[in-house]
Amino acid sequence: MSFFLQELVNGVTTGALYALIALGFSMVYGVLKLLNFAHGDLYMVGGYIGFFIIRWFGGAAKLFIPVPLLVTIMFVAAAVVVGGLGVAMERFAYRPLRNAPRIAPLITAIGISFFLENAALLLFGAQYRVYNTPDFISYSSGIQIGSVSIDSVQIMVLVMGLFIMIGLQQLINRTKLGKQMRAVAADREAAEMFGINVNFTIAAVFFLGSALAGVAGVMAGLLFNTVYNTIGFLAGLKAFTAAVVGGIGSIPGAMLGGLMIGIAESFITGYISSIYVDLIVFGILIVVMLVRPTGLLGRAQLQKV
Amino acid sequence: MTAPSQPASPPQEGQQPLLALDKLSLGFGGLRALADLDLQVRDREIVSMIGPNGAGKSTVFNVITGIYRPTAGDVRFAGGSIVGRPPHIIARHGIARTFQSLRLFMNMSVLENVLAATYGSTRASPVESVLRLPRHRREERQNRVLAHDILAFFGQRLAGYRWDQPAYSLSYANRRRLEIARALATKPKLLLLDEPAAGMNPTETHEITELIGRLRDELDLTILVIEHDMHVVAGCSDRVLALDHGVKIAEGGFDTVASHPAVVEAYLGRDPEALAAEPGGPGGSPTQGGTKDR
Amino acid sequence: MSQLATDEPAPVAPAGPQVGADEWVARQAQRREYLPSWLGGTERLVEKVGWWPRLGLAAAAGLVLPLLHVGQFQLQVGIDSLVLALLALGLNVTVGWAGLLDLGYVAFFGFGAYGFALVSSDQLSAQGVHWPAYFSIPVVVVATGLLGLLVGLPSRRLSGDYLAIITLFFGEAFYEITNTVASSKLGGEDGIVGIDPIRGFGVQLLSTEQYYYLMVIFVVGAMIVLRLLEFSRTGRSWRAIRDDPLAASAMTISVDKVKLMAFAFGAMVAGLAGTEFAAQQVSIAPTDFTTQYLIMIYACLILGGAGSIGGAVAGALVLNVVLDGILRNPTYTGYLFYGLIVIALLVKLRPWRRLALVAGSTIVFGYALHAIAAAISHSWVSGSLQSGGWIASALRGWVIVPASATGPGDWGFVLLICMLIALAQVHGRTRTLLLVPTIYLAAFTWETLLGTPTNASITRYIIIAVVLIVMMIARPQGLLGTRRVEVPT
Repeated sequence: MSFFLQELVNGVTTGALYALIALGFSMVYGVLKLLNFAHGDLYMVGGYIGFFIIRWFGGAAKLFIPVPLLVTIMFVAAAVVVGGLGVAMERFAYRPLRNAPRIAPLITAIGISFFLENAALLLFGAQYRVYNTPDFISYSSGIQIGSVSIDSVQIMVLVMGLFIMIGLQQLINRTKLGKQMRAVAADREAAEMFGINVNFTIAAVFFLGSALAGVAGVMAGLLFNTVYNTIGFLAGLKAFTAAVVGGIGSIPGAMLGGLMIGIAESFITGYISSIYVDLIVFGILIVVMLVRPTGLLGRAQLQKV
Repeated sequence: MTAPSQPASPPQEGQQPLLALDKLSLGFGGLRALADLDLQVRDREIVSMIGPNGAGKSTVFNVITGIYRPTAGDVRFAGGSIVGRPPHIIARHGIARTFQSLRLFMNMSVLENVLAATYGSTRASPVESVLRLPRHRREERQNRVLAHDILAFFGQRLAGYRWDQPAYSLSYANRRRLEIARALATKPKLLLLDEPAAGMNPTETHEITELIGRLRDELDLTILVIEHDMHVVAGCSDRVLALDHGVKIAEGGFDTVASHPAVVEAYLGRDPEALAAEPGGPGGSPTQGGTKDR
Repeated sequence: MSQLATDEPAPVAPAGPQVGADEWVARQAQRREYLPSWLGGTERLVEKVGWWPRLGLAAAAGLVLPLLHVGQFQLQVGIDSLVLALLALGLNVTVGWAGLLDLGYVAFFGFGAYGFALVSSDQLSAQGVHWPAYFSIPVVVVATGLLGLLVGLPSRRLSGDYLAIITLFFGEAFYEITNTVASSKLGGEDGIVGIDPIRGFGVQLLSTEQYYYLMVIFVVGAMIVLRLLEFSRTGRSWRAIRDDPLAASAMTISVDKVKLMAFAFGAMVAGLAGTEFAAQQVSIAPTDFTTQYLIMIYACLILGGAGSIGGAVAGALVLNVVLDGILRNPTYTGYLFYGLIVIALLVKLRPWRRLALVAGSTIVFGYALHAIAAAISHSWVSGSLQSGGWIASALRGWVIVPASATGPGDWGFVLLICMLIALAQVHGRTRTLLLVPTIYLAAFTWETLLGTPTNASITRYIIIAVVLIVMMIARPQGLLGTRRVEVPT
């Protein structure tokens, strides 16, 4: 039982990460109907940013600033830089293709993903970059309930994930920007006619979505300790699965899907074997797509003729 | 095909119609797009559907051609029910259509657009095509003759035109004509035309009206037309059906329907004489812009 | 076409092209399709020759090539390029014609290779299975086609993006199965070794030259088959579902079946390429069939022009010969690099005054930057130029080369790529302005980075990625493809 609960906790934490990446996927898909294959690689860039910030402030063992400040800087820097990267990506690669055949931006997205992966390899090297999280945040500093332990990094990830998701939900439902995003998602041309700055809104969506991926990258670094140039590929695929399982375009759906994939993955690793994780997640995706292509919380779109 | 000289009169009991819609209903979530729609179309009849934008006219086409599945009711074609059949099977049974929003194969040539629609009536497998076996050669020959005949139907407009040019290089009116040509290549018995005269000038509109008549007379087709231009409706229909909010509000001859109080009311309560006389039709200029109409 | 001359258009249309008329639109479209300046002229000249004579000429050129005193290395580059060409041809069926984004395509290649390897080596049992090639190749190709059908099944319900992801997962699954899940049967990371050469009827293909000829025959054969298919019932239905699946289904085309056929045909071509690859390589491993290679195939197809048979082959030959054949030799590479820049400037920049202005300002900009850098620290400019000969003497003094070149070179390279992508977007004065630092950065990157061969494969991948991004923006129809129009629905 305690093994089960421990796996559950681990699964929920990983799931929160996937959910954060899936949110960005889902938001971009919502406004542009574009699968941003490069989204997973933004997460990778976030991970690297976190690593280099730890290094600039003295390295994990010899930090010369307080840990909370360091973590804050890591998250803010990752969010801003990766968000900016997302905006640049949109401006220079996707915007010219808004009215191009559907397949064109997808191919561009593959190109960007490949570019980011290899640029990271060239600039940051092939070696695994290690955060050494235990050197500044002790694993034993969390809470212990019976035999289940939740360390402080996990707590931080869960709490932050929760706050980000609530905040995002509020942003989209309550603010003017959120309203504009929903309008652009529903009908870009009509939104433009109503005086909404479509380019700005899409850029904002890219900024937010990418920033979330960047934050998730730092979280992953703290949680799993290592960063390398291809972590984005599989994470991106799984986040996409999460978005589809939950219903692509739906924010609560992305959260739910992320949690489900995280938990499923954790249990498969715990009870079966880590070898089969990817294959089983793949199986889940196929089943969901064939049985309920709109996902759990997605709404069926009417085919316009 | 039944006797070509059949007179155009209202449907009678006991005679089997080519197309019969029976209490057809369709809802999208809470929205009711069609409600208990009955319609019978006999062989070689030309029936027009009119109604304001959003009345559910194109939805009827989409249900008949199998793109939407009705929530209730039945569609019978030549005696059998076709509800639930996939669109390509329905098309092979002999129902062809054009699209209001023009859905040509834009990057294929004019000729290829027509040839592509012969898919259902040909059999050559990829292997036969690669080896250029007799069946492939025979079918290609027949298809070409068919395509020439069909394109020739449009007289100066499409015949002799650059058939090797991509469809996107055609003008708007010619795209509409090519849509009809492509539909004809499926060798249909029933032709569904969705606003064939939209975006055309008065001369072209007149041509289309004549063309619809010729399609019936020369190719023995039964035709269902959605049209906003009352000149077309008055000029070609045996019978007119008026829809509003997915409900049939009037049916009968053009004059009866056009002056029917419910129809007048549906078109913003305007005077029926003005309706019939106005060249743009009751829909007025939104005819071309009304692409949101389902 | 001949009727056009005799049938004067209807009375309403006045003679001659006019705005809004079909004629004008068509001519306008044709004008834009050609490459700029003299390249377009060459294109028109080539178009005058028919498709079949052109194929004949290309095939003859391919067959004559080994007689021209080429070494083993060049022949191997030729074989690799032809394998890529064959793969691009198959991908063209699914992506270029049917418009189905298949991101698991490389797995079909792998399946073909593994299939051939299993029945032509000692992998399955101690005494091994050794089928003759005339039996094993058709069996493997057909099996790959069946796998294509299986993978294509989701395409019945999914399209576009979803299909892309499903197939991407499939490609990943293939890698995991060969690498870890079924490692005991398939050799895991080490793959399968000791694969038989292609043999049958008492003949064995052993030399590189023989494989080169075999590949030429395969590629030309595939081109012929696909050309015959393109303008048949099947080919038309593929292109119809790419343009508008819904309209296609209303026009009696069974969209599901046609999609599956596209998948199967693409897979079969990839499987064929796989068998030859396995036989020639003698050993294969999961790393031969990664996403990297998939993206390479895509880059070939996009560069050449999706939807065009000749484009697929030309794209593969150009990209692979440039990346593998020429870029290996620094001197050639230098000439190619600067040559391309100069040609691009000559073609694109008019009038001459502007060209002179850009060239002049680049050098002035360079001297200024060099002076500033030298003033800050001597080590920033104390490195040596990588180019030799007259290029070096032309660049000395205004191109910065730091003492420790690797780091700045890498950053310069990535920055250069970003600037190139940006350059493809801006127009007019901004573009001219942006050109100056871009050209300078290009020279800087070249001179600092060229001496670090360890990163050659990475820079190569980055170039592939950029080919994809820039082509989609600047010339989505590729070098030889025809421009496509899509009406958003």
